[in-house]
Amino acid sequence: MAVPALTADSDKLAALLAHLDHATALLAAAPAFTKPGKLPRVLDTARRVMLQPGGCAAVAARAQAIDEAGVFAGSDWATPQILIPSLTPHSLGSADANIVVIEALSELRLLAVAHEEYRHPLISAEQAHHYLTQVIAINLNLLFGPATEAERETQGRLAQLPRNLFQYLTERIGYEHVIDQLIDEIWRILEQRPIQVDAVKSMITQIASCQANPEIDLGASGQGANRLVSAIFSPTRGCQEDPGIAVYRERLVSMDPSALQSEATGFARAMHDTGLVSPYHPVLLRFLLDQGEHLLAEALGLSATGRDCLLCYRDLVQALIRACVHPPTAQAVYGLALLLERGILYQASMAPALLRQLALRLSDWSQARLTLAFGDTVSPRARLLEGVLCMLGQPLGVGQGNNPTCQSARALSMWAYSDPDYLLQMVAWAARDDEIIMHFEGQPISSRESTGGVATSLPLDLDPVSLLVVPQLDRIYAEMGRRCIGREGDPHRWVNPEFHGWWSGRGFRINVDVTTGHLSDLDAFLRHFYASYHPYYNGQLPLIHPQPAGIAVTDSAARFIGWHAISLLRVSIDPTDVMRVYFYNPNNDSGQDWGDGIRVSTSGNGERSGESSLPLEEFASRLYIFHYDPLERGELAEVAQEELDRVIARIHRSWGADRIPATELQASEGPLG
Amino acid sequence: MDKDPQKGYIALLGWSLNAVEAAENFDRRYVVVAPDWAEAYCTEHNIPYVPWNFERLNDRSLEIAETLKEMGVDVAIPMFEETVEWAGAINSVLLDNPRLYGQSLLLRDKALMKRRAQLGGIRVGIFEEAHDKADVIRFLKRVNQTLLKLDGDPNDPIHLKAFDKAGCLGHRVIRTPDEVDSIPDEEFPVLMESHLDGWEFAVEAWIHNGKIAFLNISEYVTLGYSVFVPASPELESYREQITAQIEKLIKAFDIEFGLIHPEYFVTSDGEMYFGEVAYRPPGFKVFELLERVYGFNAYQASMLVFDPKTTAEEVAAYFPREIEDANGYAGCFGVYPRRRVVSKLEIPEEVEDHPYFESHELTPPMEETVTKRTAFGTHWGLVYFKGPDPHQLRDLLKHQEDVDYYV
Repeated sequence: MAVPALTADSDKLAALLAHLDHATALLAAAPAFTKPGKLPRVLDTARRVMLQPGGCAAVAARAQAIDEAGVFAGSDWATPQILIPSLTPHSLGSADANIVVIEALSELRLLAVAHEEYRHPLISAEQAHHYLTQVIAINLNLLFGPATEAERETQGRLAQLPRNLFQYLTERIGYEHVIDQLIDEIWRILEQRPIQVDAVKSMITQIASCQANPEIDLGASGQGANRLVSAIFSPTRGCQEDPGIAVYRERLVSMDPSALQSEATGFARAMHDTGLVSPYHPVLLRFLLDQGEHLLAEALGLSATGRDCLLCYRDLVQALIRACVHPPTAQAVYGLALLLERGILYQASMAPALLRQLALRLSDWSQARLTLAFGDTVSPRARLLEGVLCMLGQPLGVGQGNNPTCQSARALSMWAYSDPDYLLQMVAWAARDDEIIMHFEGQPISSRESTGGVATSLPLDLDPVSLLVVPQLDRIYAEMGRRCIGREGDPHRWVNPEFHGWWSGRGFRINVDVTTGHLSDLDAFLRHFYASYHPYYNGQLPLIHPQPAGIAVTDSAARFIGWHAISLLRVSIDPTDVMRVYFYNPNNDSGQDWGDGIRVSTSGNGERSGESSLPLEEFASRLYIFHYDPLERGELAEVAQEELDRVIARIHRSWGADRIPATELQASEGPLG
Repeated sequence: MDKDPQKGYIALLGWSLNAVEAAENFDRRYVVVAPDWAEAYCTEHNIPYVPWNFERLNDRSLEIAETLKEMGVDVAIPMFEETVEWAGAINSVLLDNPRLYGQSLLLRDKALMKRRAQLGGIRVGIFEEAHDKADVIRFLKRVNQTLLKLDGDPNDPIHLKAFDKAGCLGHRVIRTPDEVDSIPDEEFPVLMESHLDGWEFAVEAWIHNGKIAFLNISEYVTLGYSVFVPASPELESYREQITAQIEKLIKAFDIEFGLIHPEYFVTSDGEMYFGEVAYRPPGFKVFELLERVYGFNAYQASMLVFDPKTTAEEVAAYFPREIEDANGYAGCFGVYPRRRVVSKLEIPEEVEDHPYFESHELTPPMEETVTKRTAFGTHWGLVYFKGPDPHQLRDLLKHQEDVDYYV
């Protein structure tokens, strides 16, 4: 019976392909002004083809004709070299069939390019291959799972299309590339030591289940995942075969001191290698509470500094472990270890502030928000405490999630970094009172009375601290901005120091004219930046506190995307003698391609975990706002003009291209003009 | 496409994107004459353009003709019903033939058109002009008296049409005097016709030097819903008689060149009744269907037969052979929502999986409530089918009337 069915299928496919070829030919023949009218038919027919068995292969074989007919003309897909893999889950999950189809067509076209069946003028076979492996890695769920209820609801029959697509792509590209790519990606993210690791953990789980599935032949690939998988599921001998929490707890009771020692070391190594904490780790830690500080310090992987701190604040640390370290809040262990390493408990206010945190009564609203975001496997209070430990331990691991609240995320990171007890004060206000009051030029601003922040809806994709504090901060920040309405110039001049802290420099420079949007006074702007921050021009003065700064984010084609808040952390020589700016970016993944050869580095150039870095010149070319101390700046005149000219050229080549005022353009046309 | 300066220079009257596209890909020089809202688009896409607002003919009408003449334009082609008399007026200047203007007026007024056809020995139904509702009631009674109906017998319906509108616009069917009340006063005057029981069909005929260059018969499955080409063998069996009818029409209206689009009824005894004729491209995308089965572009075909510089040889070489050269049957169905409230467009699986289904032009609903259909109304978009068997295609098109596209 199978044979006639197959024949019927292939007849149907052949008929649909005839339609597709006809529609493609019509599109190709149409003059530019009627192409939009011919496109829907191509997309609709392609959709029907790709829903058939063998349809994706047939479309891939026609990829060049489809591309050249003009399917992608006028859209981002027309420039495949700048496409971003992380956007594909959104387009492939769209309820709009045309978007799903055009994304799928683009992938199949790049497959043809990757296999050198189609030579594309804008993207090489290697680039296409690299892009596709990333796309598959990010959409692994489409490969292994049936459509979820949500997908079926929004997409209906269409939900099968991305699955057919990825089945075919993976067959052609090969699983081994995909898995290895995914593992590299996970390591790259983990090197930045983010606080939120749920997404990473679920990707690792996916790899683990892929390895365990006898139907998937991974070949030699996936070896690099062993450390990741074991860090979560089996970091020590005692839990080698992932026996489950209850069994492991029983085993601990019968272990002798040397076995416990080896368990402790195993967990500590896995945790510090990856930044991930196994759910078994809290079980050991709680067990060790009654076994003396030595093993506890060992299980946290502490150095002399951390151990010293642990011994000084023994009762507090024990109380923190008891209150919040559970298998579902395992990351608290890592936060606690780094908190002890930072030595910040030696600040007189920290221990009492943490004791207040331990006893804090959360408001109903706070409890509800935490439960909504993280479920009820542990109490909201323990969840919040985990978040507090992680933020204090990993100040540069704060992420803004998928929300426009980079300012608030930056503030939290800055406080955790250089004013931790102030952060604890903010958390106490927000979690207990549902209100934060800050002062702006002497006037109190209550988060409760200010309506309307930058974000229009309450975010859920945040760490526990951000979840409660960011909405409050966001409203205050927006209100401070409103109070500057009518003032000449950019409001950040006044808002940033009042919002972030006394250490934000009162000197302020911006290189964009607020009313016209044109570049203004680039030369003086850059001279001030160099004179204030470049060690060669500021008298070797190190940066003392993180400073708020604003950058013009550009995409991989160096086109302007938007304004973004970051903090400057330090400026120094990297291992290869290049002067670099190290900064914090509240964006969740700091490794970004800003075009024109500027790639933000997150490791390998002297970065500490969570830091991003760029050579100073490249950084300066994306900077548009910074603060400085007018009393501490260096010599403006000493900055070399050719160095500034290089930066200015980079600005003109990227986000400043359509912001050049008419007069400046004439002046910059050189000696002839 | 490269333009041949030896051939004619053509003005397209009215904005039709498909026509512009065809002109762009054809070897004749062309210019679009359209209202000024088209200017930005034409400038952006380098489309030759002359602004003109086609309102009623007035003292300035000569101006556009003079402008086009100075540009060296040879002939003007109407794209819509509303530009037919403009084409007549302009062509009477460009071709120095004053009769063309009178001819276009005949083709624009349905009552004049019928009288002219009658004078030419063509059979038409009973018709009359109505100026108010009383005229309609009287006509309805008289027609049914003529048919020897007794009081209480169900009436034969009559048809009401606007004098000067295209296709189904303003077309109403009236069966009882009560229904007359539903006609808004501003629709008067109208043309009234007796109902002919029979098989309605349309013809597209390209005429060059007063002779038929290509004659297509379009078969309506249900008027206002669906049409396919070429016609089924049953209807095509009348081709000889239909050709004779068209020749009569050409003579009666003194048509030398151009595209005509008449409608006829053939009654059960094989008698042909003339409905109306239009001197412009048909609605309902019959041009697209023709291109699908014969492979020639019907807009370019029209430019060819309008162009006074076209030779008879060029025309003969251009057109395919009727029926023989068709590679199947293509039809389309005009979708109208069947429900009062709709939320989304959903192409039925049975349609999408049907081997004859080709494509659709439907868009998601803009509003949830469907306005009640008055007269014949306008469809929400077309669905295209193509296949080898005319009867299967016809049944498929008929079946679409019972299918929901909007749910």
